[in-house]
Amino acid sequence: MKLRKLFPLLVMMTLAPSACVDLPEDGKPQPMKTWVDDWRDEVIYQVLVDRFADGDVNNDYLVRPGALARYQGGDWKGLQDHLDYIKELGVTTLWISPVIKNVETDADVDAYHGYWAQDLTQTNPHFGDMAQLRSFVRAAHQVGLKVVLDIVTNHMGQVFFYDMNLNGKADIYIGGTGGTSPVTRVSEFDPDWDPTGVQASTSLGLAGRAPVVFIQDPSINRVPPQPGILGTARAYHGFGRILNYDVPAQTMLGDFPGGLKDVATELPEVRATMVDAYTRWAEQVDLDGFRIDTVKHVEHEFWQTFAPAVRQRLAAQGKNKFLMFGEAFDGNDELLGSFTKNNELDSVFYFSQHYQVFRDVFHNAKDAKKQRGTDQIERLWTTRYKNWGAEPMPDGVGIAPRKMPINFMDNHDVARFLFDAKGDVDALRNALTLLSTEEGIPCIYYGTEQDFAGGNDPANREVLWNTGFATSGDTFRHVSKLMRLRKAYPALRRGDTKVIWSSPDVATEEDAGILAYERAGGDAGAGAYALVVLNTNGLKESVTAKDGATMKTAMPGTVMVDVLDPKRPTFTTGADGSLRVSVPAQRGMILVPQAQVVSE
Amino acid sequence: MRRTLTVSVSVLLAAIATATPAFAQEADAGAPIAADAAAPATALDTKTPAPSKVEEAKPDDAKKDDAKKDELPSGRFEFGAYGRVRIASDLRGGTGRTANIVAYGTRIDEDSYAEIELRREDTWKKDIRTRVVTTLAFFPQFFHFTGNATQQIAMRNLYVQGTYGPATLWVGSRMYRGDDIYLLNWWPLDNQNTVGGGAGLKLPKDTMVAFHMGMQRLDNAYQTQVIQAVAPSGFGVVDVLKVDRPRIIETLKLTHFLRNAPDRQVFQNNDKMGLKFIVYGEAHQLAAGTQKDPLTGKDRALPEDSGWLVGAQIGYWTGERDSFAHLFFRHARGIAVYDPLAVPQTFANDRTVSGASETLVALAGNYETGILGVQWGGYLRFFRDGSDAPLSKDKFDEGSLVLRPNFFIGEHFGVAVEGSYQMRRYALSDANGEGVKQGGLTRFGIMPFFSPSGRGSFKRPQLRMLYVITARDGGARSLYAPEDVFSQRKVEHFLGLSAEWWFNSSSYP
Repeated sequence: MKLRKLFPLLVMMTLAPSACVDLPEDGKPQPMKTWVDDWRDEVIYQVLVDRFADGDVNNDYLVRPGALARYQGGDWKGLQDHLDYIKELGVTTLWISPVIKNVETDADVDAYHGYWAQDLTQTNPHFGDMAQLRSFVRAAHQVGLKVVLDIVTNHMGQVFFYDMNLNGKADIYIGGTGGTSPVTRVSEFDPDWDPTGVQASTSLGLAGRAPVVFIQDPSINRVPPQPGILGTARAYHGFGRILNYDVPAQTMLGDFPGGLKDVATELPEVRATMVDAYTRWAEQVDLDGFRIDTVKHVEHEFWQTFAPAVRQRLAAQGKNKFLMFGEAFDGNDELLGSFTKNNELDSVFYFSQHYQVFRDVFHNAKDAKKQRGTDQIERLWTTRYKNWGAEPMPDGVGIAPRKMPINFMDNHDVARFLFDAKGDVDALRNALTLLSTEEGIPCIYYGTEQDFAGGNDPANREVLWNTGFATSGDTFRHVSKLMRLRKAYPALRRGDTKVIWSSPDVATEEDAGILAYERAGGDAGAGAYALVVLNTNGLKESVTAKDGATMKTAMPGTVMVDVLDPKRPTFTTGADGSLRVSVPAQRGMILVPQAQVVSE
Repeated sequence: MRRTLTVSVSVLLAAIATATPAFAQEADAGAPIAADAAAPATALDTKTPAPSKVEEAKPDDAKKDDAKKDELPSGRFEFGAYGRVRIASDLRGGTGRTANIVAYGTRIDEDSYAEIELRREDTWKKDIRTRVVTTLAFFPQFFHFTGNATQQIAMRNLYVQGTYGPATLWVGSRMYRGDDIYLLNWWPLDNQNTVGGGAGLKLPKDTMVAFHMGMQRLDNAYQTQVIQAVAPSGFGVVDVLKVDRPRIIETLKLTHFLRNAPDRQVFQNNDKMGLKFIVYGEAHQLAAGTQKDPLTGKDRALPEDSGWLVGAQIGYWTGERDSFAHLFFRHARGIAVYDPLAVPQTFANDRTVSGASETLVALAGNYETGILGVQWGGYLRFFRDGSDAPLSKDKFDEGSLVLRPNFFIGEHFGVAVEGSYQMRRYALSDANGEGVKQGGLTRFGIMPFFSPSGRGSFKRPQLRMLYVITARDGGARSLYAPEDVFSQRKVEHFLGLSAEWWFNSSSYP
C-alpha cells in the first residue's frame, strides 16, 4: 500500500528534473551545414580566445591579470558576447585558438594559447565546455560569421620526459663530463636533437635509447595524453629538440622547442586518431575550417591522408567547402606551395609575403636604405603562380590555392606590425589596404584594429577587453571601411590580379613606392573592375608615372572614383587607358569605374 | 567535474557535520526558545512525536529536581551524547565507501561521527531557569582505524540560555535547527550554525515565535584573508586582516500547534495527536571587501551581497510509536542559497551571487504498527548558482527518495531493509556533447539490528549489521576521475557493522 502511494513520487522525481535543467537550445548538437559560398569572400579575424573577452569569471582559474605569459580569463562566452564588435569591424570568419585540453602550465608559463595539447577529445575548461563552444559557433553562424578552429597534429604538449640518466625521475638538468659521456648539461624535458634518438647514458658511457616516461602531475594536467595511441611511447619520435631547421630530418622528427613532443604521424594508427579526433570537433560544433599548425614539420604523406579523409567524412554529412589551411613558418615560397598540391591543403599562410612585402616594404616606409621596392611584391605574386597549386583540392573549397593565399601582416607568433614598424600607423593602415584588396583571403590578427603594438610572444598577445571594445579609433574605422568596400565590390574579392605598376624605387624618384594592380574579371564576373594604387613610400608623394611613361589601365576613357576616399574624387583614364594619379605618402586609392560605384 | 563533486561532497560533509537523528533534535532546535528537557509535556516542545516522548526522556535527576522543586535555587550537571560508528568492507578488499552523488543522499553508509555534551541546568526561581551547553563533536577517522592520535574536534555548541516565564534568550555559538529527514541526515528547512543570539516567546493559543541573529566568517579568502605587511616599526612583518566579511544571518520562525490542550479540544479523544505549521524566513548580508589576489598581489574588489529565504513546514504526528510525517518547502535567493558553512564557488561577472536561487520540496516520516515500521524521506531540489552563464557545474536539479521498512522481531531485534534512488542533472554537456551531464544510482540495503531500549524505528542505541548494494549508471560513474575505481565499477558493495546512539542531549533529548 505504502509503496504504491510512493510510486508516483518516484516517477515525479525521475521525470521532473528533465523538465528543468537543460542545455541551451544552441548548445545542443546541430546538423552540419555549408555556410560558405566562396572563401575569397571571407575575411579571417584571428582570435586568441584567452585574450579577447572574459564572459564568465567562473573559468578564470589561476588567471594573473597583466602577466601575458599566464592565463588572462578570456573564453568562448566572451567571444559570443562581443560578436557585435566583430561584425562592426566587418570581418566574416573567426579563427579561434585551439579548444582542446592542454597541459596547464610549464616553467611558469601557461597554455593560454592552446598549443600544448594533452587531450584531443576534451575542451579546455578555461574557455568553456562543449555546449558553450557550440553556443558560440551557432551564434556566430546566425550573424553571418564562420568559425575556423586552430589544430595541431605535429606535436603534443610536454607530457613526458626522457629518462636519460635512468633514475626514474624528471631532471630539469643533468650534467656530465662531456668525456666518456656525451652529456654535458641538458634537460630531460627538452633534450637536444640526437639522430640516433635521445640516448640514456651513465658515467660509463651510452646506455641506449632513453626511456620515455609519461608524467603524472594532475595538478597541472600533465598526465598521459589522449586519446588512445597518443598515450603510448611509440606514438612519438623521441629524437629530441630541433636544433637546425634547415636539416629536414630534424624538422620532421624533432621535438618542437619547449619540449613539445613530436608525434609519429607516419603511423597509420596515429593518422587515424588525428583524423577522427579533429573531424569530430568539426562534426560536433559545425566548424567551417581548420587552421593547421606547424605543417612543415609533418610529412606530406600525412596531409595527403588527413586532408582527404576530413573532407570526405564531412562532405558525407553535408559539410562542404571545409577550408583547411596550414602554417609553415617559412619564407620559402616554394616550400609553402608544396602543401597546396597533391590533395593536401586548400591553402597556407603567405609567410613569404609576410617577409618580402610587409617587412621589407611596409615596415621600412620611411627608411630608403632599408625599404625594398614594390617590384619585389610583383615578383613574389608572380612566383606564387608557379609555386602554389593550380587546381582546387578534390572535394575541397573549389578554388585553386594560388588564387587563395591566406594573407596576413602579423600573427601571434611574430611581433605585431606596429612593433616592427616602430609605431608607424600610416604604414599599418596602408598595409591593411593592401591586405584587404590583394588576391586571397585577408587574415587580421585581433587587436590590429586597436593599434596594438606588442613585440614578440607574449607581448604581442595583449588583452583586448582593456580597450573597452572601442570602435571609434582611426584604424578600426579604416579596417571597417575596407571591409565594406571589399563586400561591395566583387572584383576586390574574386577578380583576377594584374600588376600594372611597380617600381624598384624607394627614395626620391617620381614613382618611388608606387604599386598598382587591377582586380578584374575572373570569378568576379565580366566587367567587374577595381584598381588599387598604393604609395608605400613614407617620405613623399609619388605618381603612377616615370620618365615619361604613364600607368596603363584596362579601362580606357573611363571615369574612375576613389571609393576609399570619403570625398569620392574622380579620375579619368586616357583613351589608351593611361592614368596618372598622385598618391600621398603611405596612402592608397581604390578606383572603381563610376558606373560600378555602389553605396557601401 | 571534479569541482562539482567537491562542492557536492562539501555540502554533504556539512550535512554530516551537523548530523543528528530523526525527531530527537526537534525538541530543541524546532523549539528554539523552550529547549528544556524538563519542561512540561504541553510546553513549547515542537518535537514531532508524541509529547510523551519528553516524559520518557526525562532524566532521573530531573525527577529528583521535581521532588525538590521548592528548594530553590537548584541545579545539576548533565551529560548527553550522540554518536555513530561504522566499519565496512567493499567486498573487494577495500573499505566500504559512500556512493552518494547528490547533496543529501541516503545515510545508510554514512561515516562515523560523535558528539558529547556537558550541560549545566539551573532553576533560580520558579519561572527563571538557565542552561549552559557545551558540545564537542568528533569527526572521522578515529584513532583505532588510522593509528593517528590527532583528532578533528569541533565546538558545536557553546551557549547560555535563560528562560523567564514565556520568554527565552540565548547567546553563544550554537547549532540551531528544526526538523530533519533522518534517512537523509538533513535539515531541509532551517539549519543554522552561527555565533550569535536569539529570543523566543510563547504566544497564546499554542503559538511561538523565535528570532535569531548570528554571524559567521569562514576561514576562506572569500570572507577572511590575513596578509603580511611591513611592520610599522622595527623589523619584520605584521599580520593584517585584509578581508573581514562575516555573513550576518537573521532568522524568524513562527510555529503554531494544533493539538489538545487543557482549554481546548482539537482532536476528539486523542490528546497525543497533533499538527504543527511553521513559517520560516532568513535574511543574509555580506559586506563589500577588498581581497589581495595571491597570484598577482593586486587588490580585487569583493562586492557586497545579500539573500533571503522563505520556507514552510507542515508536521503531523499520531503520538503513537513515533509515527509522524513532515512536508517541507523552501525557496532561497542570493547568498542565502548557499549553506552557511560553505561559500559560493561560482559567481556572476560582477562577482555577486544575487542571481542564485534554490527551490526545494522535501518530505519525511515514520509509521509504526505491530511488527512493522516504515521510515521515508525524499526531496527535489532545484539549484541555480549566481553565474550569468547558462552552463555551470553549479546549476543542477537533484532528488533523492528513500524508503526503509523495519521488521521488528520481538522487543529488541529487527531487520531493516532500505531502497533508495537518487539523481543529479547538471546544466553542462555530457562527455559526448550529446546531452546534459547527469547521473543516478539505485541502492538496496538490509540491516539486522539489536535495539536494547526496545521496539521502534527511533529507539537507540541500535547495533547493526548491514549490507548495501549500489547500482551506479554511466552518468554517476562519469562524475569521478578515471583513476577512481568509482568511475569504472557499476556495482558497489558495502558490508559492515554500525552502531548509533543518542541520549540526554539538549540537541537530542
